[in-house]
Amino acid sequence: MELSKYSDEELITEMQKRLLELRKLKKDFKDQALTLKNLNKKLKEAEAIKSHFISHVTNEIVNPFASILGLSKNIMSGKVQNLEKAMSMAELIHSEAFNLDFQLRNIFAAAKIEAGEIMPEIIKVDIKSVIDNVIDVFDYKARQKELQIDFSSEIKTDVDKDFFYTDPDKISLIVSNLLSNSIKFSNAASKIEIIVSIENSLMTIIVRDHGIGIDKKNLQVIFDRFKRLDSTINSINTGHGLGLSVVKAMLDLLEGDISIKSRKNQGTVSTITIPMATPMDELDGFSFDDNDLFFEDSDEF
Amino acid sequence: MDDYKEKPYFLYPSALYASKEPIWITTVLGSCVAVCMWDPVLKMGGMNHYMLPYWNGNGLASPKFGNIAIDKLIKRMENLGSNRRNLIAKVFGGGEVIETTIGLFHIGDRNIKIAEELLADYRINIKGSSTGGKQGRKIYFNTYTGVVKQKFVRKQNFG
Repeated sequence: MELSKYSDEELITEMQKRLLELRKLKKDFKDQALTLKNLNKKLKEAEAIKSHFISHVTNEIVNPFASILGLSKNIMSGKVQNLEKAMSMAELIHSEAFNLDFQLRNIFAAAKIEAGEIMPEIIKVDIKSVIDNVIDVFDYKARQKELQIDFSSEIKTDVDKDFFYTDPDKISLIVSNLLSNSIKFSNAASKIEIIVSIENSLMTIIVRDHGIGIDKKNLQVIFDRFKRLDSTINSINTGHGLGLSVVKAMLDLLEGDISIKSRKNQGTVSTITIPMATPMDELDGFSFDDNDLFFEDSDEF
Repeated sequence: MDDYKEKPYFLYPSALYASKEPIWITTVLGSCVAVCMWDPVLKMGGMNHYMLPYWNGNGLASPKFGNIAIDKLIKRMENLGSNRRNLIAKVFGGGEVIETTIGLFHIGDRNIKIAEELLADYRINIKGSSTGGKQGRKIYFNTYTGVVKQKFVRKQNFG
């Protein structure tokens, strides 16, 4: 501005005004810097966890394969004369392959979720048989630890109430993860209960174990991907900590919820609730009959 | 909608879709935001649908979060052969459809802001948008022409 046109007072007011603006900008700038700093820290943490995960997963995929290859080669060589010995080797192979298969299913599910390519595939589902199948799959693992799995359904036996519209594959993976955790953290020869009920179009599945439980402070981080509470090398509990973050994302997709209550050395109760989904062909996203009408008052961009 | 043989692709919340083939992509938005990315040179496009602005490092890094969903959509377009400099964007959603007495949340506003900021960072122009307000939206995006049709909706079950 042309200085001579203004009185001293006007100039001072103007200077004060600008000084204030400058201070505000400086503060904004500082705030932004702080946000960036925090974000950067979080990203670094995430990166560190991810690289830890990769080395971890290598171990967990390469080692089981080494056992599977070694054991099967032994059996193939015909040197194992004893049938019983061969059977116990086959059992080990099965057990390693089972763990691998389960972990890979979680890894692929996580990859699909992170790529944004997962979507619900809603059909009429017989919930009891879905859960029965999961228990069946884990039966051998449970028997190894002499665990008893009690499954009770509080679903009324009316013909139609037996069915529920949801995504059976996702439910199966969710329950598999909860049951797998319960088996992993149960003390030998204890009991695991699974209870399913449906009320007012809301399905509740409870998985309760009497295992080692989870600390209060650790309860908050169990849904973080790749996080395992006990990550020491000698830990008897295997797993890559992906399970519960997959469960959480799948429940998001089905608009469900999970709550986990646990007490150290007393056990853990996981409760999931899932509302009945709208069958795919009834979603108006999938019916396109009245499109002319639909866009009568629409905007175009 | 009858232009193409294929049915419109219904995009779920937290999902992402891009296609070389001409197709309509549709989604329903509440406080969520969808970015429609269009390549006028290759005549193709893609869309995301995110629910929250930032991934905070917990849980899976899915396109549920704006910063991830926008990055991934751009990468997907590049994988399909797009040059980033050609891309244009259209942004929809971010309504405050759930009345909150606590102003703290304003998820819709924050979802819109992250799109504007990130797209500016990537120098991708926002050529059209319909954001904010108190209503939900249903949009249809034509990946061949880049046209987005929008209608306000009242029902409650959207992301």
